[in-house]
Amino acid sequence: MYSYIIRRLAFGALTVIGVSIIVFLVLRVLPGDPLVALFGPEGFTKLSEAERARYMADLGLSDPLAVQYLRWVGDIARGNFGRSFFRAESVGEMILRRGPLTAEIAMLSVILSWLVGIPVAIVSALRPNSLGDNVSRFLSILFLAVPGFWLGMLIVLAALFLFGYRAPLTGPSLLADPWSNLQVVIGPAVVLGLGQAAYIARMARSSLLEVIREDYVRTARAKGLSRRPVITFHALPNALLPVITLSGILLGFVLAGSIPVERAFGTPGLGYAMFTAVSERDVFVMQNLVFLYAVVFVLLNILVDLTIAWLDPRIRYR
Amino acid sequence: MTVTEPEAAYPVETAAPAIERSRQRSVTGGMRSFIRRSPLSAFWGCIAAAVILMALAAPVLAPYEPLKSDFRAMSKPPNERHYFGTDQIGRDVLSRVIHGSRASLAVAFGAVLFGTTLGALWGLASGYFGGRFDILSQRIIEFLQSFPDLILAMAIAMALGAGFGTVIVAIAITRIPFGGRVIRAVVLSLKELSYVEAARGLGASHLRIMARHILPQCVAPYLILATTHLGVAIIIEAALGFLGVGIPPPTPTWGNMLADSLNAGLIPPWWLVLFPGLAITITVLAFNLLGDGIRDMLDPRLRRAV
Repeated sequence: MYSYIIRRLAFGALTVIGVSIIVFLVLRVLPGDPLVALFGPEGFTKLSEAERARYMADLGLSDPLAVQYLRWVGDIARGNFGRSFFRAESVGEMILRRGPLTAEIAMLSVILSWLVGIPVAIVSALRPNSLGDNVSRFLSILFLAVPGFWLGMLIVLAALFLFGYRAPLTGPSLLADPWSNLQVVIGPAVVLGLGQAAYIARMARSSLLEVIREDYVRTARAKGLSRRPVITFHALPNALLPVITLSGILLGFVLAGSIPVERAFGTPGLGYAMFTAVSERDVFVMQNLVFLYAVVFVLLNILVDLTIAWLDPRIRYR
Repeated sequence: MTVTEPEAAYPVETAAPAIERSRQRSVTGGMRSFIRRSPLSAFWGCIAAAVILMALAAPVLAPYEPLKSDFRAMSKPPNERHYFGTDQIGRDVLSRVIHGSRASLAVAFGAVLFGTTLGALWGLASGYFGGRFDILSQRIIEFLQSFPDLILAMAIAMALGAGFGTVIVAIAITRIPFGGRVIRAVVLSLKELSYVEAARGLGASHLRIMARHILPQCVAPYLILATTHLGVAIIIEAALGFLGVGIPPPTPTWGNMLADSLNAGLIPPWWLVLFPGLAITITVLAFNLLGDGIRDMLDPRLRRAV
C-alpha cells in the first residue's frame, strides 16, 4: 500500500508540473503580447510606447519567458497568488473568501447525485427493461443533454414567477448564517447534482447488472439469503467501485460546470470570480485560478485512486 | 463440431468477414436494419438530420433577418407575428434560434473533425509504435486531461481572443486526449493479432500496416466517439458563449442569446431563456441518442470502452 501511495503521489507531482507548464504556455505565451490580452486589441493601439514599456516593466513581462515562469511558480509555492490587474483585492484573499462557497456547492451536489443516482440505478438494474428502467434511462439521457446553466436560469425564473422568490445575492458563510447560506447554495447544488446523478445512475446501473450475474451473488442467494441483503451487502459494495472513480472525475467537472451555473444563479462563489476574470480579460487572475482548479482536480483524482486502492486489494497489490 | 469450434474460440478473427459482408450490404439495407434494431435512435437521428438541414437552410427558413431590429416590437412575448417573441432590441427570437444552429453545428463539427481526429491519429501512432514516444504521449495526454474541459477551453479561447476559429481550436484541443486514449487502447489490442504479424512478416512498411490493417478497425470506435463528442462540443460552445468568450456578438449563437437575456433587465423574459436552451437540449439529445444507436449497431462490446 505504501509503495502504491508513494508512486501515485510522485505521478501527481509530475502532473502538477506539467499542468503548470500548460497553463503558462496557454495564458502567457499563446496571447503573444499580454498587454493585447489585457487591454484588448483596440485598447492596446491607444497606448503610447512609453506606457507600454512601463506596463511591461511593472508586470515583469520584459524578462525572458523561463524567468517569468520560474518567478510565477515560486510565487505560488510561497502562497502568493498575485493581484488582479483591475481590483485591489489580492487573488489569494479572493480565493479564501469565495472558495468555500463553491466547495460547499460541489460537495452538496456530489451528495445529491449519490442520493438520486444510486436508488434510481438499483431500481433500474433489478428490473431491466421494465417501465421504471426505461423511464429512468430516458431521464438520465435527457439530463446529460440539458446544459446546467440553462436549467439554473429556468429555476431562477420559475421561483420568481411562481413564488416571487429570489435567493439572497450575498453569500454569508455557513457558520455565520446557515439559513441564507443554504438558500444561496441549494440552487447551483441541485442543478449540478442532477447533471452528475445522470452519469452516476448510468454507470451504477451497468456495473450493478454485471455484478448481479457473478457467481458469488448466486451463491449468496443459493445459501438462502433473501434478495434485499444480497443486493445491499454483497452486490452493491463491489458495484460501487467504478462509481466512486466516476464520482471523483465528475467532481472536477462540477468545479468547471459551476462557472456558468454560478453566473446563471448570480452566486458569489469562485466560479463567478472566474467568469468576471474572463470577461475582464484579466490574464493574471485567470492564470492562477485555472492552475488552482487543475491542481484541485489532480488532487481529487489522487484521493479517489487511493480510496479505491484502500477499498480494493486487487489494485493495491498489482 | 470441428467446423464451429474455431469460430467460438477466436471471435476477433471471425469478425473480419462479418464486417466485409456488412460493407457489401446496400446503404438502404443498413438503414433498415438500424431502424429495426433501435427505432428510438433512428427517430432522434432524423431529428439530428433535421437540425443540420435547418442550419444549412437557415436564410430560407428564418422568417426575419436575425440581426435586424424592429423598434416597434421590442421585448414582445410570443405572438402570431413572432412565434418565439422578440428580444430587448426587437430581433425575432425564432430567426435567431434558427441561425444559431449554424454557429453551434459548425463549431461542433469543426472541433470534432480537428480534435477527435487528431487525437485518434495520435493514439494510433503512439499505440502502434509504443516505446518512448508512447510514454511521452501518455504523459502529455494526462496533463491535458488534468483540466476540466470547460476550463481549458475558456483559457484557450480567452488567450487567443474571441472568434469563430479560436472557439473551434479551443474546443478541439479539449477533445484530443479522449480520442488519443480510446484509439490507443484499440490499437494496443489489435497490433498483437496474427494478421498484423503476418503483414509485418511479409515485409509491409509501418505506414502500410497502420493504414491498411489497423486504421479500418479503428473506424467504428472513432465514429462512436465522434458522435458523442458532437454533443459535448455543442454544450461547451454554448457555455463559452454564455460566459462571453465564445463567438462574439452580434452573431446569433444559442449561448450568446442566453447571455444576452441576462442583460434584458432585472428579470429576463422567459421566452428569451426558454427557446435557445430548448434548441441546445434537443440537438445534444439527438446526437447523444444517435451515438448510442451507432454504438449498439457497430459494436456492442465497446459499450464500456467509450
